[in-house]
Amino acid sequence: MKRAAAAGTLIPRNALVWIIISQFALLAPHLLRLPLWLVLVYLGTAVWRLLLFQGRASFPGRLVRASLALGGCVAVFLSYGNLLGLEPTVALLLIAFAFKLLELVKPKDAYVLLFLGYFICVIGFLFSQDILFVLYSLFTLVLVTTGLVALHRPREDHFRLGSLRLPALMLAQAFPLMLVLFFLFPRIGPLWTVPVKSHAAKTGVSDFMRPGDISELSQSDDVAFRVQFEGDIPPKSELYWRGLVFSVLEEGAWRSLRYNELPGLELRPPAVEPEGEPLAYTVLMLPTQQNWLYSLRYAQPAQRGILSTADYRLYSPLEIEEQLQYRVRSWPGTPLDPELSDWRRETELALPVQDNPATRALAQRLRDGAADSAAFVDAVLQYFRDEPFVYTLQPPLLTAENSMDQFLLQTRRGFCEHYAYAFVVMMRAAGVPARVVAGYQGGEINPVNRTVIVHQFDAHAWAEVWLKGRGWVRIDPTAAVSPDRIELGLEEAVAAEGSFLANSPLSPLRYRGVNWVNMLRLRYDALTYRWQSWVTGFDGEEQYRLLQDLFGSIRAPVFAGAILLSGMVVLVPVGWWLLQRRRPRPLPPEQRLFLEFCEQMRRRGMTRATGEAPGSFGRRVAREAPQLAGWAMQFIDAFEQLEYGGAPRDAAAYRQHLAGLRQQLRRVPGHRHQG
Amino acid sequence: MPVNAVETARSAAESGRFSRQFSRWLDRRIPPARSVTLDQRRIFIFPSLPGLFFFVLLLLILLTAINYQNNMAYAVAFLLATLFVVSILHTYANLAGLTLHALSATPAFPGQRSEFRLRLQRSGKAAHYALRLSWPQGSDSVVSLADRESCEVALYVPVGNRGWHNPGRLLLESRYPLGLLRCWTWLDLDLQALVYPRPLPTTAPPGGDGGRPEGNARETAGSDDFHGFRSYRPGDSLRQVHWKAVARGHSLQSKVYAAYASRTAWLDWEAFPGIATEQRLSYLCYWALALEKRGEDYGLTLPGVDIAPASGEAHQDRVLAALALYQHGAAAS
Repeated sequence: MKRAAAAGTLIPRNALVWIIISQFALLAPHLLRLPLWLVLVYLGTAVWRLLLFQGRASFPGRLVRASLALGGCVAVFLSYGNLLGLEPTVALLLIAFAFKLLELVKPKDAYVLLFLGYFICVIGFLFSQDILFVLYSLFTLVLVTTGLVALHRPREDHFRLGSLRLPALMLAQAFPLMLVLFFLFPRIGPLWTVPVKSHAAKTGVSDFMRPGDISELSQSDDVAFRVQFEGDIPPKSELYWRGLVFSVLEEGAWRSLRYNELPGLELRPPAVEPEGEPLAYTVLMLPTQQNWLYSLRYAQPAQRGILSTADYRLYSPLEIEEQLQYRVRSWPGTPLDPELSDWRRETELALPVQDNPATRALAQRLRDGAADSAAFVDAVLQYFRDEPFVYTLQPPLLTAENSMDQFLLQTRRGFCEHYAYAFVVMMRAAGVPARVVAGYQGGEINPVNRTVIVHQFDAHAWAEVWLKGRGWVRIDPTAAVSPDRIELGLEEAVAAEGSFLANSPLSPLRYRGVNWVNMLRLRYDALTYRWQSWVTGFDGEEQYRLLQDLFGSIRAPVFAGAILLSGMVVLVPVGWWLLQRRRPRPLPPEQRLFLEFCEQMRRRGMTRATGEAPGSFGRRVAREAPQLAGWAMQFIDAFEQLEYGGAPRDAAAYRQHLAGLRQQLRRVPGHRHQG
Repeated sequence: MPVNAVETARSAAESGRFSRQFSRWLDRRIPPARSVTLDQRRIFIFPSLPGLFFFVLLLLILLTAINYQNNMAYAVAFLLATLFVVSILHTYANLAGLTLHALSATPAFPGQRSEFRLRLQRSGKAAHYALRLSWPQGSDSVVSLADRESCEVALYVPVGNRGWHNPGRLLLESRYPLGLLRCWTWLDLDLQALVYPRPLPTTAPPGGDGGRPEGNARETAGSDDFHGFRSYRPGDSLRQVHWKAVARGHSLQSKVYAAYASRTAWLDWEAFPGIATEQRLSYLCYWALALEKRGEDYGLTLPGVDIAPASGEAHQDRVLAALALYQHGAAAS
């Protein structure tokens, strides 16, 4: 009871305000992710707290609190359908965060709230590690720490902006050592499986293609991945980023072969001898929640943990939930599958039996007019060029059962997937093994750091045809219809239509024509690339290489030593600086001389009493030791002049005076007597 | 039950031995002094309870970082861990360089609280915040030295029996700035409070050889001379009510005034034959207070002590101190 009365057990008002500010700052980035009711609940508690602050409401009773907590859980369950995913967990945390505000009475509650705040800041990073968001989160960390510091300054009843200073300073002092730990702390794999982002949409190309799918993807200006080439960047028209190979046509949609559909001998990619000089590059891929990776053809991963599939693609055994950086080497000139296995030929020729009779007839007619498969391919492409086909982002919906018949003979307006679809169907109908390949084509070259930025609107579908002696040959029927798409990109290809990013009027990509906007966008993109590849993409492998470069070998004592040493280097100056400010200030020189004088007198048996003025002490000395009288009075006079005014205060005269005083002290007559 | 009792007794003895050893160690490390400047010899530091929970939080963040392979979560875990380390320095520096001076301790009667006054002074220009001072069983006080060089602190400690009261070691602690660490010191400021005997009213006059005092006390309401207290009776004037006692939570009492013929009295040890020492001292104390209130001269005769009759605050203090310290060495043992 006695302790409860002490000022230390109440939350100072300043701290309360900072706690509420930090809460709002922490909540803000989650607002768009949360159901509306939760935002309203939050505003409600904040208003309640404000009324409490003004004394116009009372703290909720135990029953109210219990029913609020229970109601919150039930509401989250109803909103998300479960309580175990990442989003419901975050929603529950935020509800606890909001309700805790209502029982914030004692410092203990404030600790709970602020520690929860630190954790919610971390949770934010599971959704984004974007450089701007990280900067914002650093700011929220300063806010939470400010709440903690304000909690320990008693009797601060008014909001003080200056409270930010010390926490910002402390975090700045902590920063260097944090960097050391960040680079040295051993990175290990996940210890157990954790709730994933259940609502995070799978992005990028899907393993399932229906006409209209890719044109939908092309509405997005999100970045799919960025590529850094070690050498020169190949021409844009050669940048076909293979992600998926669709070999199966089923119920009007293309899909890739499933792993369990492959016979044992076909599981691994057939051995191929690489030809020519390889292209070496690093791909930094953003999370897709899918498994496939993108690469130029014939790609071999240059690191562990990435697999090659039987159709020469790269594949990650784990879904890509965080960004992934991988190094690849590609030999674009290498023929793929120079010999086709019987199973493979059969698979790549299969067509649903009765579909699209008109298309089949057309293919047969063109095949009959061609000397060989290669000539047939050219004939089909020529057909696309000659007939009035239109490349458009807004193709009409194909409603007929035989959709390709409708497309080829009636609508003739389509996006890349329509052309690739129709082309492969015609090839197969005429007995030429063919398949659809999906991925991205082209990309934007950032002049700032020479990376290739591949956006979602670069998504593309093309075809591969197997020709005897040449293996799989890439054929892009879209190029026959709209050469601009391949040479210049989507924006120019659909310029006349005005449909580029029609749904995102604010996208900076739409303002590429405005020079400074474009430069700003590219510079930020270069920064993002650097951030993602060096900081958020820093992993065990990267760490291993870095440490080997630094220390040569990696042993535990080296680690511990490095951490300790850098800890010292960082903390010793901080400690020295802190204690320096608490040491007594040195006395002015004239006072030190006076103390020396007193010490000499003490040795002669005349001790200055506490509080005795220098003048009266001097007179006493003169009385008790007449032989020193003249000297002592002279010294005291000089000292008093310097100390209590009268003496000139400019620097030169002051120094001169001081020197005189020092000399005076040395000329003490007692020396001869004692000696 | 008896086994339990033995156990309890033993553990009490153990803890008693431990605390004795601890206090001996403390005496060597921080010897008693009227004025102490805090440095690393005198300052202890250890994580507080919230600090331990902070470790749990760090562990949770680290687990999140590992399981989600999230570099920014790693960064926050390390930043907060380093913040903790940095806050060790800050918490320590908040006590370092402070100087405590013992100022005074007011005398008190048994059961009352003595006021101990201290001065806190900072040596550098940096501020010190949230310094909590307390004596065991005493009141506590939280002060900051932010915009002033020094300040005085008054702490109230209940005192025990007659004699010198040693309040034990003063606890100075602070958790500033983050509350994750507790930084503290135990100081013996060599400050003791004088405890007077408990005044016990007695009707017997302060006895006297030489027929002092002359004349009897007469109760006369409305007179100027204070005689004593009695419980309030309906009809007593409100001016007679002892309001100070009421404020302290006692029942209503009326002041009683008396007039005396003579104005010199001797407080004599021998006036209460056959009565135990402490009780005699209590009677004498009562009369010293009563006579001082009346403004009369009074003297004190104890075995070995003689104080000539006089009056006034200084005289009263002398008399009460003599009573407080009478045979104090023997009484204390």
